[in-house]
Amino acid sequence: MQMITRRQLAAMAAAMAAMGTGAAGAQEMPPHERELHEAARREGEITWYSGQYSAEGSEAVGRAFGERYPGVRCNVVRSTSQVAFQRLSQDNRAGVAQCDVFSSTDFGHYSLLKREGRLLKYRPVNADGLLPALRHADPDDTYQSSFIGLYLLAHNTRKVSEAEAPKSWTDVLDPKWRNQLAVGHPGFSGAIGIWAVQMRKMYGWDYFKRLERNRPLIGRSSIDPVTVLNAGERSVGVAVPSGSTLLSIERGNPLRLIYPTEGVLATISPSAILRNAPHPNAAKLFMEFTTGPYLSQTVRLLYGESLRPDVPPPEGSRPLDQITLLAPTQEEAEKGVPEVRELWRDTFGI
Amino acid sequence: MPDTTIALREPGPAARRTTWFGRLRHVEPVTLLWAVLIAALLFLVAFPLLKLLAVSFETQGSGAFTLANYGTAYGRARYVEALLNSLTLGLITATIAVVLAVPMAWAVSRTDMPGKGFTWAVVLAAFVMPPYLGAVGWILLAGPNSGFLNLAWRWATGAEDPLFDVYSFAGLALVIALHSFPLVFIFVKSALDLVSSEMEDAANILGAGTWTAMRKVSLPLVWPSILGGFILVFLETIALFGTPAIIGIPARINVVTTQLWQFFEYPVRVEVAAAYAMPLLLITVGLIAAQRLVLSRKGFVSQTGKGGERRPIRLGPWRWLLFGWCAGVGLFAVALPLLVLIQASFAKAWGRGLTLDNLTLRDYRLLLFEHEMALTSVWNTIWFSGVAATLAVGLALLIAYIVARKLVPFGEALGFLAMAPFVIPGIVMAIGFYAAYAPPPLALYGTATLIILAFTARFLPIAYANSTAAMRAVHPEMEEAARILGSGRLHAIRHVTAPLVKKALLGGWLIVFIVASRELSAAVFLVGPRTRTMSVLLYDLSEAGNFEVLAAFGGILLVITMVFVGIGMKLVGRDFMLRRT
Repeated sequence: MQMITRRQLAAMAAAMAAMGTGAAGAQEMPPHERELHEAARREGEITWYSGQYSAEGSEAVGRAFGERYPGVRCNVVRSTSQVAFQRLSQDNRAGVAQCDVFSSTDFGHYSLLKREGRLLKYRPVNADGLLPALRHADPDDTYQSSFIGLYLLAHNTRKVSEAEAPKSWTDVLDPKWRNQLAVGHPGFSGAIGIWAVQMRKMYGWDYFKRLERNRPLIGRSSIDPVTVLNAGERSVGVAVPSGSTLLSIERGNPLRLIYPTEGVLATISPSAILRNAPHPNAAKLFMEFTTGPYLSQTVRLLYGESLRPDVPPPEGSRPLDQITLLAPTQEEAEKGVPEVRELWRDTFGI
Repeated sequence: MPDTTIALREPGPAARRTTWFGRLRHVEPVTLLWAVLIAALLFLVAFPLLKLLAVSFETQGSGAFTLANYGTAYGRARYVEALLNSLTLGLITATIAVVLAVPMAWAVSRTDMPGKGFTWAVVLAAFVMPPYLGAVGWILLAGPNSGFLNLAWRWATGAEDPLFDVYSFAGLALVIALHSFPLVFIFVKSALDLVSSEMEDAANILGAGTWTAMRKVSLPLVWPSILGGFILVFLETIALFGTPAIIGIPARINVVTTQLWQFFEYPVRVEVAAAYAMPLLLITVGLIAAQRLVLSRKGFVSQTGKGGERRPIRLGPWRWLLFGWCAGVGLFAVALPLLVLIQASFAKAWGRGLTLDNLTLRDYRLLLFEHEMALTSVWNTIWFSGVAATLAVGLALLIAYIVARKLVPFGEALGFLAMAPFVIPGIVMAIGFYAAYAPPPLALYGTATLIILAFTARFLPIAYANSTAAMRAVHPEMEEAARILGSGRLHAIRHVTAPLVKKALLGGWLIVFIVASRELSAAVFLVGPRTRTMSVLLYDLSEAGNFEVLAAFGGILLVITMVFVGIGMKLVGRDFMLRRT
């Protein structure tokens, strides 16, 4: 079982403990941001391909960016991570640069892009204020942490009681859950690809053959199952994001999160500036925004995890130091996601 | 064009230029126009297709000749299965569409069924509603556990099993058929309109009842139209991307279009996608050839110079049964999906049903005031479709004119090229456009130009068919009169012919505009961050299954479409969308 190292965890916990209650105010613009803002204003816009955060969350981030830095508009191109990567590859193949900042939940994308020399090296000043474990996503600074995604189980409380609900990742393989499960697709969702790599590592591909026998309803995004559960179409969601589920609960849907006994899948994923970014200064400013308190303040309102000690985590979410986090390594992700995608298509037929 | 004509008449100052111009002076402007049109058609239609064919034999990177792409494209059982799925889906869908549409067409055209205006409205609405929106509506209606229809069924009968599961092959076929049957209706109805009652009378005199006369006389006479409609629905179905992505993935049915999409995953394999698309083209060409063969053996002349009388057949009580059929189709194709979509668009959580505390304007507010891309995409959709419709109609009119007046030798070749996109699946065309014009030297990827050109090419046949019909209605003598009085040909076109066909052209423009405004399968491969259309944004929204926002955006799309349909009805006549030309 691969976990976030004990040291990282301790660092996160320490950061959490040291955290104040109030969020850092955003009234004053520090000199490095002001300077970038001036340059970015001349470029006028930034195009952000993103598979991190929900459609609603991404729009909120784009809006908050525009509000903080007047005169720089953020074009939010939100899709699932693999589709975002597909768009980026299509751009590259056509020899056209359209994307400034690329954000994916499949962190394997970044080692690949870095190796191909397609990322711009930039160290945001604000990155020094991230949670210690997130501060140095890449020793060469070609990408920076911008997203902590937690993926777990959830159930519709009207269809399944808390006592009956599955407790672990393997519980959902029980034949009694036949026609009751919902899950995303690794060909679209980056997080589901990471999750599949992790499950394969823990239980072998047999896990998915048995999952297939339970005929899960397959969506595209990892958020799909949340909608399916809200509607009562299925009763148990597998590998659903905590943020979207908590938001759904707040809106009155009968859902409950389940923290699997083995641990929660964590995709701590970065964002990167493309080397051929048409708006490099705006892109750098966006990275300052992402690593600064502003993004965390925005996404926590929609139950996204905070990246910084000075912004409290979202309400109702278990603190990170109280849960076991599971994740494959970056190499495992880069190599594994394309493999599990093919295996998935062979096993599930889609 | 008039500028060129004038310039050509001026003698050039230098001797060399004089000879050049001197030679050109004898060329009629219309020949130049012909050359320009040929160039435009080659650019829009022929080059992307040839490029697609060429790319399918290229090695990625080096461009060396290879057959490996075909090996990759058909080397896996799953890929071949997707092709078979598409073909089966096309056949089933087309069959359902024919079953739905033919009784409706017969009823409206030949009988005294009540509510014909209502039936028209049903067909029009089903045609206007984008198929992917209908698909979302049907997920809300017929999800096996949560769909309203299935909930009602369980409540009424106490049954365990759902009445109908939308996540199935049958579900997918039915949902597509419910939005493509208008094509069959339009074809069959206009053919039935031409069959005179005398033919049925003859059958009646010989002892056949209404039913037998319909079965043995009227329908066989319009067999070519039924077949034409069938083939058109088949082609539409195998080229459809949105509905298979939205319903097919949960139903675990992979089809050609979703498989083509997979070839665009990293690393982008345009070569393999091109190879994979080739059989689609062959099938299409094969179908058209088969249709010719089947129809060529028999005569289907129903129009004679004697101008027969057309009387509605009296059906007695049976007319209510037929009306029930039309109303039923309307209920399932339009009313129910629309109702659940409207409900979802105003709901906090659509699964909680229609209660006061579940009502919200949140999603409309989000889209209209907070969403960065929503209004831009609305604007993009309107202007891309508008420009594409204008280009397509302009081009089509000029070609139709040249072909109709037989102004140049081989004019038919122009007509053939203009009609060719009719048989090219939209997604294949999009990949051709991507391969041909996305990379340098043109580097059009992500620009509005590329999308407008693709829309123009894709819907040129509609505009061309429309223009041809319009041109046929104008006798050349009026134009000749103008020319005798000293008007040049282009002048005569502008001041005599064009005003005469204006209304028909406006109808054609609106049809192209409306179908372009909901186009997805070509747009999804060609858009850039700032050029996303409403349909692509809807597709992006559908990825996360957020049906409330999706429904609200669909509502906005429908309102816009209805405005344009309304304008069309006001200006051109109530049946402008459905008039077969």
